[in-house]
Amino acid sequence: MTQTKSPVARIFIYIVLALFTIYNILPFGWTIMNSVKLPKDANARTPRFVFSPTGENYADLWLNVSPEKFAPYGLALILIVFVLIVIGLSAKRIPAPNSLVYIGCIFAGIIVAVALPRVVNTAEFYDYLINSVIVTVGTLCVSLSIGALAGYGLARFRHVVSVYILVIALAFRSLPSLALVLPFYYLGQLSGLYDTHILLIFCLVAVNQPFTIWMLRSFFMEIPREIEEAAMIDGAGRLRSFVSVIVPIMWPGIITTGLFTLLLAYNDFLLARILTQINWTLPVGIAQFTGGEDPGHVTLAAAASVSTTLPILVVIIFFQKYLIRGLASGAVKG
Amino acid sequence: MNKGSFAFFVGPSVFVMLALMTLPLLASIVLGLHFITFRNLDEPLWVGLRNYEEVLGDPEFWDSLEFTILFIIAAVPLRIVLGLMFALLLDQITRFRGLFIAAALVPFVMTPVVGTLIFRDMFDRGGPYWYWMQQLFDYRMFMNSTTVPILIVFHSIWTATPFAMIVLFAGLQTLPQESLEAARVDGATWLRQLWHIAIPHLRSLFVFIGLISIMDAYRVFDSVFVLTQQNPIYDAETIMYYNFQVALSFGRLGKANAMSVLTVLGIFVVLIPFLVITYRDQVEES
Repeated sequence: MTQTKSPVARIFIYIVLALFTIYNILPFGWTIMNSVKLPKDANARTPRFVFSPTGENYADLWLNVSPEKFAPYGLALILIVFVLIVIGLSAKRIPAPNSLVYIGCIFAGIIVAVALPRVVNTAEFYDYLINSVIVTVGTLCVSLSIGALAGYGLARFRHVVSVYILVIALAFRSLPSLALVLPFYYLGQLSGLYDTHILLIFCLVAVNQPFTIWMLRSFFMEIPREIEEAAMIDGAGRLRSFVSVIVPIMWPGIITTGLFTLLLAYNDFLLARILTQINWTLPVGIAQFTGGEDPGHVTLAAAASVSTTLPILVVIIFFQKYLIRGLASGAVKG
Repeated sequence: MNKGSFAFFVGPSVFVMLALMTLPLLASIVLGLHFITFRNLDEPLWVGLRNYEEVLGDPEFWDSLEFTILFIIAAVPLRIVLGLMFALLLDQITRFRGLFIAAALVPFVMTPVVGTLIFRDMFDRGGPYWYWMQQLFDYRMFMNSTTVPILIVFHSIWTATPFAMIVLFAGLQTLPQESLEAARVDGATWLRQLWHIAIPHLRSLFVFIGLISIMDAYRVFDSVFVLTQQNPIYDAETIMYYNFQVALSFGRLGKANAMSVLTVLGIFVVLIPFLVITYRDQVEES
């Protein structure tokens, strides 16, 4: 629409948007500050924006040993992670197949993550992080692979059966998840699967599947049929042409859908709270900080909040344009 | 695509939805007809519809339903109005758009439990908002049964307005240029462009955001859990939260299942017209 020319109005608009931005990020900024405060600064009656920072809260949160003892291991850890990232980023220059390099890096990372608690005495929060990562990655893999197959099938098979599946999926999308998770809880208790990663992954995949197939289908609809028809004339089967022709051009759509799945799995609290007893994920671990009277809780909760949020913020900043496009495209199709 | 390969492609996903959604739903209907606590998990006691009688006669259930409906009425329109307002403001400028949108994503992607925790800290004693309200308006805020429900609404607006804003902003970028051009030639003011071109064009998006918001507000749980600190004195229990309590705090699994069956029926009453519309659209398309 017509943009205003009046400089006063423009300045006013920028001020309003700047205030909105501050309102959006100030709570997180305040939490970052709290996470490096001493309890006496964090519990002051007037908010303190100037204070002498401390790393103690993070040490308390992550470690059961003193930071001094951890320092050499910490340096080694940073070094290893740095080397792995450098190798991963320069995979194209290494005279070996790219996928082998990536798999090697991921494998080395897993070994380090598993070995760390055996070398130094990490606190429970580290276990929550590992649980969260396992559950999130598991949900992503299962959800996206079966979701992509179904999304493709639904986009290409124009038949009333497809419509039924889509409408039922939409109905499932709106279900309060408690209606699903209570039977899961009950059956988990009976079968002994309660408090395992696999049960939580199953439940998250189920809750997420309707959304996944709708979103992926809408991306597949944008790909012209001629592309895979050409491949099939060349003698490739349906599955072959799907894997080697369609999936490579679908990556943006898969990443976008994957981001929403990632947010759902990583941020989930209710399902993890009900389906786990000690194998908590990060949100469940953090919820224990909600009701404490202990003055140290504020700073510890802040450190936990920052530790939980930073990974997700890094991913989102990195893939921001996919997320925004996903929101926008879901929008345009309504 | 023929039927065989369709079944092959769609099969795994349909199987997952049958085994992991349809079966649990049926199971919750069956479980709702039994008396189950943690003590008799493996030998539930058949009680017929008595759980449903108990739920419908439970004043706390009706209280939580009332609060949930009030919450939807308070939060959903505000999200859409504020989202539209900020989308229109973004539409007016050209510089720093990306920055404003990126910052708006922070409350949207943040883990709800964490987001609520840090939002509460801002209003708690010694937090910046608490302090500024005291300095500017001489108002000392306490967590009580008035402020906590208001904070729950505020928090939901804080996290969901960016979503509405980005969706509506994307919609504003797809306005039909010819109509805008014609309006400009005719000298139509911005307000008239908004009323006669933008709002009608965005109508389906309002429905989309409204529907998603109603569904999400109906099942709000995390923020209630954190803001009430599981303390009943704040009188801010939503239906999901009460249902959770019946299941895990009181250990009445049968009654909780009966209640969740009722909540499912409740959301379907709202949803059925929309499902019918979607069905018609899709049949036309295929």
